[in-house]
Amino acid sequence: MSTAAATVRRRRVRLVLVAVVAVLLVAAPLILPAFANQTLVRIGVYAVAVLGLNIIMGYTGQVNLGQIFFVGLGAYVTAYGVNHGWNILLVFVAACAIAGVVGLLVALAAARLGGLAIAMVTIALPIVGVPLAKRLADFTGGSQGVSARFTDAPDWSGLANDQWQFYIVLVVVAGAFLLARSLVHGKYGRAFAAVRENEAVAASMGISPYRTKVLAFTIASVFGGASGFLYLAAVQYTSPETLSFGHSISLLAAMVIGGAGSIAGSLLGGAYYVLVPQLTNAIDPNLTTVSQGAILLAVLFLLPGGLVSLPRVVRRLTRRPPARRSISRPAAETSQQTTPAHRPVPDAAPEEREQTERQDGP
Amino acid sequence: METFIQLVVDGLATGSIYAALALAIVLVNQATGLINFAQGGMAVLSAYIAYVFVQLGLPIIVAILIAVVLSFVFGALVERFLVRRFERGDPDTAVVVTIGLLTLVTGISAVLWGYNNLAFPSLFPLTSVEILGAVVSVRSLATAVTIVVIMVVLQLLFLRTKLGLALRAVADNPSSAAFSGLPVGRLLMVGWGLAATLGAIAGVLVAPQLTLTPGMLDTALVYALAAVILGGLNSPIGCVVAASAIGVLENLVAVYVPLIGHDLKIAVPFVLIFVILILRPQGLFGRKVVVRV
Amino acid sequence: MTLLELKAVTASYGPVQVLDGVSLSVPEGGSVGILGANGAGKTTTLRAISGTVRTGGTIRFDGRDIRGLRSDQVAALGIAHVPEGRGTLGQLSVRENLLVGAYLRRDRKAIETDIEYCLDLFPQLQDRVGSRAAALSGGEQQMLAVGRAFMARPKLLLLDEASLGLAPGTAKTVYQAIRRLRLESGIAMLVVEQNANLAFSLVDTATVLETGRNVLTGTSAQLKGMDEIRRAYLGG
Repeated sequence: MSTAAATVRRRRVRLVLVAVVAVLLVAAPLILPAFANQTLVRIGVYAVAVLGLNIIMGYTGQVNLGQIFFVGLGAYVTAYGVNHGWNILLVFVAACAIAGVVGLLVALAAARLGGLAIAMVTIALPIVGVPLAKRLADFTGGSQGVSARFTDAPDWSGLANDQWQFYIVLVVVAGAFLLARSLVHGKYGRAFAAVRENEAVAASMGISPYRTKVLAFTIASVFGGASGFLYLAAVQYTSPETLSFGHSISLLAAMVIGGAGSIAGSLLGGAYYVLVPQLTNAIDPNLTTVSQGAILLAVLFLLPGGLVSLPRVVRRLTRRPPARRSISRPAAETSQQTTPAHRPVPDAAPEEREQTERQDGP
Repeated sequence: METFIQLVVDGLATGSIYAALALAIVLVNQATGLINFAQGGMAVLSAYIAYVFVQLGLPIIVAILIAVVLSFVFGALVERFLVRRFERGDPDTAVVVTIGLLTLVTGISAVLWGYNNLAFPSLFPLTSVEILGAVVSVRSLATAVTIVVIMVVLQLLFLRTKLGLALRAVADNPSSAAFSGLPVGRLLMVGWGLAATLGAIAGVLVAPQLTLTPGMLDTALVYALAAVILGGLNSPIGCVVAASAIGVLENLVAVYVPLIGHDLKIAVPFVLIFVILILRPQGLFGRKVVVRV
Repeated sequence: MTLLELKAVTASYGPVQVLDGVSLSVPEGGSVGILGANGAGKTTTLRAISGTVRTGGTIRFDGRDIRGLRSDQVAALGIAHVPEGRGTLGQLSVRENLLVGAYLRRDRKAIETDIEYCLDLFPQLQDRVGSRAAALSGGEQQMLAVGRAFMARPKLLLLDEASLGLAPGTAKTVYQAIRRLRLESGIAMLVVEQNANLAFSLVDTATVLETGRNVLTGTSAQLKGMDEIRRAYLGG
């Protein structure tokens, strides 16, 4: 079969797959019980937040410890707008835009610093955000938090509340993921990757690391704001606790565990964020933190690409290792000659392993 | 005036805690090239260990010494088994590893001792002394002095001893240092052990005031990071000065600027950072680092 | 007495094999050169000896098999490696660099004497003793690197491209000092050098590498006379 025909066939298969998934997603809330719908809704909420974090961290390589701050900010803006009778679409736009503007301001300053300094500075966002939220009680309801109900199903739809919420979240999540996908596969995605690899090289290619980082961070904040909107849609209440430091770390862990630098991984990350703490809390609430830490470390050591890379890793492990290339001999002969070099050296210390990975020449 | 002196002395005491954590972070960064976000969490675990020995009836100073020694071992083991694989690689991955470590260590503290605040005995008497008409807590003074002494001892270690020379050589160029016979791996473990020790001392000195809880040093870590940013990653003196300034400033602002007050004083170092770093990206004392492609 | 012996040594960086059977030997007190073009495997050969790359084949030093040892273990046996790029400890002072070289020694008085000797060997370092090494010029850093290696009082000195990046006059001065070092201390040397003229001023025998294998071996006199060498390395 010619490659052109194969490509067309693959694309057709993918379209069919997407259509099937779309139908399933539209039909699901009508079939599933309310509890399942609510869980899926919450997964969607955090998937968007993780997706935003992925854009700045997974794709552009800048550690961001403040994503949850933008989620909280979006939630508060949403609550404020709803309680003041704004049009729902305006509320959504405001949540995204305000989070984006704040993110832009933070990024304009923070991106000037070296990569690690961004981490050190964004850690301040949730830490400062909590007392700030408590202080600005006029806008935020202070330590008590604020409720806002706006996702009751309208009568004309004939749906239950949880089903209506599902569709709202589905629309936003789908939009966010499609937007992210087109971003990442386009020229911005290439800029992100270049900056993550090596900023000096990116600069020499005409990509401004500073501007790229600011852009990625702003986009991440916008996604955070959208996630906050969804959060309020689902939970209908927010408080300073929403943007606490602990949640910030959990979100980051969820991103890494789901799969850094992967759109699909963000979905897994959202699922992890919602489902796993539920599980550990059911067993013993005190165990939650320990198990989170242990799982994150296990993933970093054993599966650095996150859960989304599991199929790829399994495939690689079950394949035979390729023969070594030699610079002076054709590939066919190398399999016998290279065995001496293959022989594991028993006394080798860990440092040696790292040093063989260096690619500097003879 | 008296309030001012009190605030300054208390500020120097808290500042010295931030300074100890900041120095530990700088030490680890110079040796292995990464920022250890778990430095505070590890220090808290050490304080819990000291707490256990106090509960067993040992005098507080003995309990502290045991905890400090154990923290050295713990720091060395963390370097060897957890962090080594990520050293000198992508620093952002290494950061996430330390965040995982922070979560793990906080979780262990929570499992073993719960989230309740535990009372930790003070090494220094809780009396006060009069300085220039102000009533100053002995504990604050003693804390600040102790940490300053320890930092001076560390500086002497680094600049005057063979071990210190070896640690600096390994931090500078580990593969080249190995060519002169330096046992790089073992020296890195010592570096991390020393950093953990610094953190442990800070932890046990501040625990009586903050009360022992798994998240006790989370905020202090944030201040310490601010001090590192302001002081520059390759200037220990800069970090100490910045940390002391932050400690004093946050106290003064909390009292004299009611708009900010105690709850928002944490924002002060970061506003400071934003302003200063826009003008001088390498920090107040640091040197510009040239990165070769 | 053979001090160092390499037999059919292979080495690879990941999937790329760079050394494909290199053999050479260095007698006690002797001086051997490794010549060849870029990418021939010269530096990798030195790295194979000092344990910074995974190898196959046989590497024996002073009678014992040293393949697989860590760099610091190899150094402890008496091999001092002056790496490509010098490996100067930039943040340490010149004096501290020399002291690091003597890390494995305990004879403090002799160490001080040796530092004096280094400064006599490389007079340009004398008034830079307290300066940070990173502030030195390329030539001074090269001298410092050789001095640091000497401070270990090694039996064998591995010298990697000592003339790299240096002006011809400076390179010559460095090599003259190294020659004096060899004459006065009797240290054996294995010298990797692209500049064959400089190499021949220091070594008794040499081997030429090409794509990871020996293609020519002989005494300096023999090699200097050969047409191929003259054309390829000595400028006609």
